[in-house]
Amino acid sequence: MTDHVAHEHLSTLKTEQEVAARNRAAAERGDAPLLPSERLWGFWEFTYANSALAIATWAFLIGGSVGLFVGPKEGIAAIIIGNIVGVVLTALATTTMTGRYGVEQFVALRSQFGYNGSRVVYVLAVVILTMGWLAVLAMMFGRSIDGLMALSAGEAANPTGVKMIIAAIGAILLTWFIVAKGPTSIKFFNMVVSPALVLLMVAMLYLILSHHSIGELLSMPALAPPFEDKTLNFIVAVEVNLAAGFSWWPYIGNLARLTKNERTAFWPNVLGIFGAAALGEIVGLLAAVALGESDPTIWMTKIAGPIIGIVALLFVAFANMTSMANILYTSIVGLRQVGTASVRAISWGTILFLFCLIPFGLVIFYPQMYDGFFIFLVWTSALNSALAGIGIADYFFLRGQKLDMRSLHAPQENGPYRFWGGFNPIGLFALAVGFLVYVAVFNPQTLASLPAFKYLTASVPSCLAAGAVHYVLTRLFARGRGWGQYP
Amino acid sequence: MENNEIAWQQELTRRARIYEDIEAGDRFEGTMTKLDYTGMTVLTLVLVVGFWLWGA
Repeated sequence: MTDHVAHEHLSTLKTEQEVAARNRAAAERGDAPLLPSERLWGFWEFTYANSALAIATWAFLIGGSVGLFVGPKEGIAAIIIGNIVGVVLTALATTTMTGRYGVEQFVALRSQFGYNGSRVVYVLAVVILTMGWLAVLAMMFGRSIDGLMALSAGEAANPTGVKMIIAAIGAILLTWFIVAKGPTSIKFFNMVVSPALVLLMVAMLYLILSHHSIGELLSMPALAPPFEDKTLNFIVAVEVNLAAGFSWWPYIGNLARLTKNERTAFWPNVLGIFGAAALGEIVGLLAAVALGESDPTIWMTKIAGPIIGIVALLFVAFANMTSMANILYTSIVGLRQVGTASVRAISWGTILFLFCLIPFGLVIFYPQMYDGFFIFLVWTSALNSALAGIGIADYFFLRGQKLDMRSLHAPQENGPYRFWGGFNPIGLFALAVGFLVYVAVFNPQTLASLPAFKYLTASVPSCLAAGAVHYVLTRLFARGRGWGQYP
Repeated sequence: MENNEIAWQQELTRRARIYEDIEAGDRFEGTMTKLDYTGMTVLTLVLVVGFWLWGA
């Protein structure tokens, strides 16, 4: 009898543990808020994770682009100014709320845009950004392989040729294969690539400094300044870096929810994302200006010679694959989270492949995107800066840093975040205003700007305008209609 | 299937209640204080103004 009771007790305990593990796994995927006791990352763990995300080959690309507009001295200033402002505003808008409540970022966004509006924001901010980056990184992979083959054969590289396109398509297919196998394979690549990229940056910095003194480097001119007005060139460089800082908006909120508390969710971004990205960009900038070439796949062979150049290019190709796998995986996990039942019904491998179709198209039909990739980056800031402004206005000034976990996770059809058919017209209107203010102040496509751009940049007015419109209209109209459970 | 859904809703309610209790008792650990926000503002301003004067 006693044995029977003990056996039953053990069996109940086992079932409870299984249920608890299942619930926790669901919370980790974002279906429920993570409890403080379930969150594992302290300050240094999050700093390391952040640095690993920020130290990627795109830092070389952004640094090289800065070198087109300004010389190294102005470029370093632009990198620091743009990144610190972008990263701090983005972290305020996303990590403070996810770090406090352990809530998934796009679930929390239901309180700002409505449960359907948050889906629209996901598609605009995450899907488009990720597809663009996938194409750019695949082309960088393709150029590395093309450069590598040219170096081995002693021929001139053809960065927009057929070999590059075939290699870039191969990179996307390989990324699809890696991600389709699941997160374990990605984790392995991350463990190897991040520390190795730091070593590569240090080695590149050493090689640059062994050829040029710091004074010589700092006095070098820009590669292709678009304007005669030096201040305007400098502000464009700051804007590119603001865009780089704001481009973390789709990603860092969901990393921060794994940290132990609000403070641990915020400060590591300043050390990890800002510090690591700035370091990588500065190396890319110095190399580009010193060697007269903004494309890392070309300056690496110039700086390091054929043998080390081949190794460096191989490594860059490998590192690109890792970044591609990271962003593809994160985006598809999120897409399934915010997607409708029909999206969730598509198999993992199929949805990954469908997602890769547009990057395929960009690689084949628009390979010029790589050389002007900063234009794409700056376009994304027109959205991300407005999203940051709305996030800060809503969470800090309208809600007093309080979110209702019950309403955010309950069935949404009749909940307080239904707004108007699942869309918050105020939040979406504020987003549109922020976007239009950005494009009016500075057109990323043509680089045409208003005189105010020289003093304000475009991301900062966009962020302020979106936040102010969201705040004022919510105060005026949302409460009376019972929208959004504002206090 | 329906039982699973009910159990999951109960789990969500449990988690929400934990946060409501923490909030009601003002027991959030490691919250950002005025000192954090001041430090963040000063750091940003120092970097922006310092590098503007140095590089622009």
